[in-house]
Amino acid sequence: MSPGAGTALLAAAAAAALLTDRLWAVGAITAVLLVVCLRAPAQRRWPYLIGALTSGLGVLLLSPLLWSSGSGTLLWEGPTIPVVGVLDVSTDEIRIGAVNGLRLAAVGLAFAAYALLLDHDRLVSGARFARRSALAVALATRLVPTLERDAAGLSEAVRGRGVELSGARGYATLLSPLVAGSLERASCLAEAMEARGFGRPGATRMPRAPWTVMDKVAVALAAALVGVAAWLR
Amino acid sequence: MRVDGLSFAYPGAAWALCDVSLEIREGEVVALLGPSGSGKSTLVRALAGLVPHFHGGRFAGCVEVAGLDTRRTRPADLAGTVATVFQDPEDQVVMALVTNEVAFGLENVGVPATEIVLRVEAALGRVGAGHLAAKRTTTLSGGELQRVCLASALALEPRLLLLDEPTSQLDPHGAEEFLAAVAELGCAAVLSEHRIDRALSLADRVLYVEEGRVLLDAPVDEAQSWLVTNRPRYAASPSDVDDALCYRNTESGSVRPVVKLERVSFAYGSTSVLEDVSLEVRGGEIVVLEGPNGSGKTTLAKLAAGLLEPDVGRIERFGRAAYLSQDPGRYLVKERVLDEVAFGVGGNVGRARGALDQFGLGWAAERHPRDLSSGERERLGLAATAVCEPDLLVLDEPTRGVDPDRKTAIGDWLLARAAAGTAVVVATHDRTLPAHRRMRLGGEVPVAA
Repeated sequence: MSPGAGTALLAAAAAAALLTDRLWAVGAITAVLLVVCLRAPAQRRWPYLIGALTSGLGVLLLSPLLWSSGSGTLLWEGPTIPVVGVLDVSTDEIRIGAVNGLRLAAVGLAFAAYALLLDHDRLVSGARFARRSALAVALATRLVPTLERDAAGLSEAVRGRGVELSGARGYATLLSPLVAGSLERASCLAEAMEARGFGRPGATRMPRAPWTVMDKVAVALAAALVGVAAWLR
Repeated sequence: MRVDGLSFAYPGAAWALCDVSLEIREGEVVALLGPSGSGKSTLVRALAGLVPHFHGGRFAGCVEVAGLDTRRTRPADLAGTVATVFQDPEDQVVMALVTNEVAFGLENVGVPATEIVLRVEAALGRVGAGHLAAKRTTTLSGGELQRVCLASALALEPRLLLLDEPTSQLDPHGAEEFLAAVAELGCAAVLSEHRIDRALSLADRVLYVEEGRVLLDAPVDEAQSWLVTNRPRYAASPSDVDDALCYRNTESGSVRPVVKLERVSFAYGSTSVLEDVSLEVRGGEIVVLEGPNGSGKTTLAKLAAGLLEPDVGRIERFGRAAYLSQDPGRYLVKERVLDEVAFGVGGNVGRARGALDQFGLGWAAERHPRDLSSGERERLGLAATAVCEPDLLVLDEPTRGVDPDRKTAIGDWLLARAAAGTAVVVATHDRTLPAHRRMRLGGEVPVAA
């Protein structure tokens, strides 16, 4: 499948998850996206999966406590917290929390599938307009594994000096050097791109492969998915 | 290509280049030599137009490439006429697939679509990387990636090829192959390189730069005589250096082992890197780990330092270990040089100042580590590791991208550490470093007779 069609399908899945408020539908979309993500190599997929699934789980767990729907069966009532109000959990809040959590997980997984499985180069070269923006998105997508590698290198460098990092506070000390390092890397890349003529008028593109039947089916499916999700609201 | 009275200073800094004048003729290969921080990289960037356009700063004089004045022509517009390969391939790769990476420059300079595919194939073939065409750039080794970068430059069919320490990430075999590919090109090239023997064997002419000034501009034969007289470390052949620096003391090292690895195996996922390896390092002994890229030197070094645990086998350490990673300048944690060094000793500023002085960085104590040059950062990494005063010192490629003067200083420092009783393990391709034993992964070779 061409990356353009793949992107359309993933974007449609994410949009459908946001459009529909039926738990089973959002759950099904999330499950399918999870299966798709599991096709990526294990070493690369875990940060994306952890990010997407923990965010979804966080919403699922916190949302019923912090938000009151005023309907459904009240299952538990806790203390009153300043600013937040009364902590309570009802069946309706759990259902809505589950929908929102799954929505967030679905959007995260759609991005994960985009980052892990699609050929961003072909997506960039296939862009008929805003090629610079498409390239920026492709480079930003590749930032995740680079940051992961840099973080591992930093942690190793620190441990190599006999300093053990522990807890969130310990690892938080690496955040600033990580950002500084990635900015430095970005500057080097920008210099290399300039030296290779990026931004010069009159750019051409390598010939692209024509769309296959599968690509056309995928785009049709993407449109149908969004339509059905809107209808199911 | 003509440079006339070029002087340049980065914003807020002293002059990096002072009154440089030179000419490079069609097809001529020029070796650019000089210590770290002498202005070699700045000169390369000036020839590419990146100085002053990308970096800003004070610029005087004139650089003309194929009749184009770089003050009035942007680097992107010089692309095609000039092509540059930088030191670290990871910092210059834009695309995810090799074919697309090589095509990137061709697309930018407007080569017709039908011609792009042909030129990509030809360029990859010229550097012996045709088999990599369909691979993802993230899966390539450093050597393979640097070849792809060279192919990307060659595909542009430039009149002037600029190579800024392009082999610093490669093992000796990879570097030989890379430079052999450069020798085949036929276009004018400027090669900034610390592997001097190789640079000289390839060059027609030598430029020696120091403190931003060109001290020598001469044909290779004449340059070699000048180097022997004036900068002998830049003239020594590798075999000479080996003999000069090998630490020939068979009685060296105490009987006390500092680290013992017994029948150790290690794999990253399903990829086995080390199998059934044993090594014992005693206090006062320098053991060098050798082998090509991917042979497991770094993994063995990390196992010795306790940063990795073996899948099979046993490791015993008797004392404190410290480890200096490859490219330490990339992994700086603090925002002040002094704090960076004090970090490993619980903030002890006194010890940190001592270590900085030892590595000639006392003057930089209050500066931000990322404001230092790459060579200075390497030294900062060494200072930050040395300050821990470990019983076992493990260094991974400590001389990569380091000039001959600094290499000698590092060698002397290792000998001093060993004499003080520290066990030293060095993973390196560099045979000029002193060693009591060299362990080629797969077989141990005693150096001293």
